[in-house]
Parts: sequence; structure tokens; C-alpha cells
Amino acid sequence: MASQRFFRPWGFILPGIVLGIITLVVPIVMGFRYSLHRIRLYRLSDQVFVGFQNYMRLFDDPLFMMSVRVTFWFTIGCTILAVVFGLAISAVMSTRGIRGTGAARFYMAFYLVPFVATQVVVGMLGRLYIWEPEYGMINWIIGLVGMDPVGGLISADTALMVTTITNSWRLVPLALLVFYAALATIPDAIVESAEVDGASALTIFFRIKLPMIRFHISFVTLIILTSAFREFDLVYALSGLGPGRSTNVMSLLVYHMGLSTANIGLANAISFIMFGMVAVLAVVYIKAAKLSEMRE
Amino acid sequence: MNTHKLRRARSLAARHVVLSIWLLICIIPLVTLVLASLKPAGLFMTIPEIFSFSGFSLENYGRAWRQGNFPFFLRNSLIIATASLAVVLVVCTPMAYGITRLGSAKMRNFLVFSILSTRFLPYVVLALPMYLIFRVVGLSGTLFGLILAHLAMQLPFMVWLMLGFFSGVPVEVEESAIIDGCTPFQTFMLISLPMVLPGLNAAAILAFIISYNEFLFAFFLAGYDAQPLTVGIARFVGGGETAAQYGVIAAYGSMIIIPIVIFALVVNRYIVSGMTQGAVKG
Repeated sequence: MASQRFFRPWGFILPGIVLGIITLVVPIVMGFRYSLHRIRLYRLSDQVFVGFQNYMRLFDDPLFMMSVRVTFWFTIGCTILAVVFGLAISAVMSTRGIRGTGAARFYMAFYLVPFVATQVVVGMLGRLYIWEPEYGMINWIIGLVGMDPVGGLISADTALMVTTITNSWRLVPLALLVFYAALATIPDAIVESAEVDGASALTIFFRIKLPMIRFHISFVTLIILTSAFREFDLVYALSGLGPGRSTNVMSLLVYHMGLSTANIGLANAISFIMFGMVAVLAVVYIKAAKLSEMRE
Repeated sequence: MNTHKLRRARSLAARHVVLSIWLLICIIPLVTLVLASLKPAGLFMTIPEIFSFSGFSLENYGRAWRQGNFPFFLRNSLIIATASLAVVLVVCTPMAYGITRLGSAKMRNFLVFSILSTRFLPYVVLALPMYLIFRVVGLSGTLFGLILAHLAMQLPFMVWLMLGFFSGVPVEVEESAIIDGCTPFQTFMLISLPMVLPGLNAAAILAFIISYNEFLFAFFLAGYDAQPLTVGIARFVGGGETAAQYGVIAAYGSMIIIPIVIFALVVNRYIVSGMTQGAVKG
């Protein structure tokens, strides 16, 4: 493109790069530097270089290892629930007779609500009105059916599950929306010819439609993985650390280690381990993006 | 033939039932919150009591507004969210445009890679060092500092989103504008920007909503003077005097959540297009 010098692209890019360096690169570099030092919150000037000692300490720390496990199950649980529900609902929504109608647009508008609802408020609402063991909505419904009430957020056995379900509720719209957009573009002719050949609706969905949207599924899965992995707001407001620290996800641990326990060096080491984990996922995403581009 | 039609109608009805149930799952929690906010403050009520249509009053709202210092937090929230929206318009959009018009594919790929790799960053990775840096440079507890933090959160996603919209604009149109004597800036403002207007709306709306709802950065960085509503309600719930006033807490939560949900319902078309575009490709 010889004409690019007429567009002067750098003039448009530069302000963004400068701000990106100030707000992204500088904190990341400083964060890494802090993670190699022993720093207490109230004596910031007194920093002792300790190399990778903070990282070493973490791997012997049962609290940290437990937090890694909690984060793992929370992230995996949220991703599976959000993707499965997103697929199921978008599959129903993209059927003939509903797809593209005013009814579909009506549903979609309200399906966005969990995603745009303020996470902190959702967390409090969940704690006080939905999962509350005595008066909450879930146990009220369970009571109607005649089953035993669940302990919700006050039981160490169920708190993580409850937190996972609540966060999935918030993430389903993302999956639903992208899958619906993808499924709606599959031409009717393909589905019809499969029907003529005697394929059932389930066969058509799993053997024809799912393979056609596999790139959408991988993108959405990665986006949901990373956003569940970094979730702080909802967990903090819903369950906090949880009974027996059962919902102490890594983001919360960073906060408690850094600002409550005031051990800044160690907290930064935890956040850098998170950074490393996400970097792996980001590379996978970029690979998938390249792959899908090649296919087109 | 008739039974066939009947089966069709039944299948359609069944599908609408499934979709309606999901719709209820999406909105009933919020309905519960709003109804609870209209009931007397002190009592913790059972679900049938909350849903009974009697004893409504707006008393809780008055108390939440005054005791919870609502206008102060609202002002901060609106300043932060509006600033994020402005950042999208003034910084992210031109940046995305510039990247798509870069001549060197190597440079372009490098920038896209940098943007993508920061997009998934856990926010604590940024918030914790920012807390320390801001203390050193005197930005802690200021709205300006918080706006910078929101910029870090918004920039990667919004540039990625706008990249997708700009790459759909044909270069030939712009080239002929240049030949006709437009400056690069005029070409951008008069030719390219109008073509991505729906995308720009989507980005601006998403940026506003994301910043309005954001809690983590505010919690780490806002000190006292810059706290937005999300920190306000956390503080309000934690405060001793209001600890048992469930109705007032519900009213406070409703005042935060209802405006943004109604806004989202009105502009849902843009949110759908922005989220779909942002998820799949840039």
C-alpha cells in the first residue's frame, strides 16, 4: 500500500500508545519489580531485593495452593455452565419460527440483563435475597418442591458452587449472543437437506451446526475462561472469602495479601503468577484467531 | 396434514416456554430486589411477603439517598463513566483506525498482538502496582487517577472492537478522498468515521456501562473523594448503623442497577453488535 504515507497512521496511533505505556506497561513492569522485593505497605521506601524468594514462598503456602484450586474449579465451572447454557438457549432461539422475529429480539434484550447488571449489586442481591438459607428465593423454591434446603453461602461445601452458579448467570449472555449470531447465519438449505435425509433435530445440531460454529465456540470459551479467572467484584460482594476460605479466588487473595496483610511483594508475586496463567490462554486465543482467518 | 400442523404449533409453543423460563431466570432476581426495596426497611421478609402486592412505600429510597450519601457517589460514577466514553472516542477509535491503515504488516501485527495480550489481563495485576505508583506520584484518591486506571481497562478491548469495524471500510474510498484533497484527519472524520458509526455507538455504550459497573479499581484506588456508587454501596452495607436495614440496602442497590439496566434495554441492539464483534474478530 504505497498510499499509506498519505494516511499518516502514526499520528492516529501515537496518543493511544503513549497512554497505553503509562497505564499498562508501567504498572506491569513495576508490578514485576515489586514482586522481586520485600515490601510492607506502610514503609514503601524500605524495599529489599529478594529475587524469586516471594514466588518460592508461595509454593509452600497452603493458603495460596488452596486459592489456586478454588480459582481452578471456579473458572472451569463458570466456563462449562456459561457455554453449555449459552449453546442450549441459542440453539432454541435460532430455530425456524423464532429466529429473526420480534419475539427473538424481545428475548435477546432481556437476556442481556445479567451481563449489564452491576456485579457488586448482583453479589449483594444474591447473598441477601437469592441464596440466603432461611428466607432466600432458592430455598423457598426447593421447599415448594419438598426437598431439603441447601446451605448456600454459609456452608463450606456449597459456597464455591453457589458462587460459580451466580457468576455463570452473569456470563451466559456473552456466550448466548455470539452463538445465536453464528447459528442464525447457517443457511436453511443445509438444515433442510439434512432433514430430507432423515436426520433428527439433535443430529442436525450436534453433527452439522456445532461443527460450523466451532471457532465461535473456541473464542467464547477463551473469553469466558479469562473473565471468570479474573473475577473479583462479584465474588467479593457475594461471598467474600467464603466459609473456611472456600471461595478465596486468587484475585481476592491478592487484595488481602496486599492491602489487608500489607505484604505488597508477596501479593505482586501472586498477581504475576495469574499474569503468567492468562498469558498462556491469550496465546491460545491468538493462535485460534490466526487459524480462523486462514480458514476464511 | 392437520396433525402435522398441530405438532408444529406444539413444538413452537414448547420452544417459547423454554425461552420464557430463561427470561424469568434473567430478570426475577432484579424484580425481587426492586420489590424488596419497596417494603418496610427493618424486617427480613420471606419471598411470598416480598412478592405480595401490599404495603408499598418509597421510604427506603429517601433514606438510601440521604444516609447513603447517594448524590456524591453518583456524581463520581457519572464522571468516571463519561470520561471512559470520551477516551474511547478520542483515543481508542483513532488508534484502531491508524492500525488498520498501517503500511507495514509487521508493525500492524505487533500492535494487534500487544493489544490482544493485554486484553485478558487480570485487573489485580494492574490495580496493585497502580495503588503504589499513585501514592508516590500523588494520584491516589483522585478522580484523574481512577480515570487513568479505567483507561487501562478499556483501551485493549475498545481498540480491538474498533479494529473489527474499521477493517470493513474499503481503502479505495479513502484513497479517492485523499486524491480529492482531503487531509488525513479530514479523511478520517468525514469519510471513515461515518461508515463505522454503528460500531462507534456500540463501543461508546459498552465503555460507559463497563465503567459504571466497575468496582475493583475504584476499591483499590479511589481513596475517599473519588468513590463511585459501586464502592458506595459496599461501604453502605458494611456501615454499622445500616447493617440490618435490608429494605434500605435494596433501595440503594435498585438505584444503582435499574437506570443502567433500562439504558441497556433501550440500546440493546448496539450492545449485541458490540459484544458479538468484540468476541469474534478484530
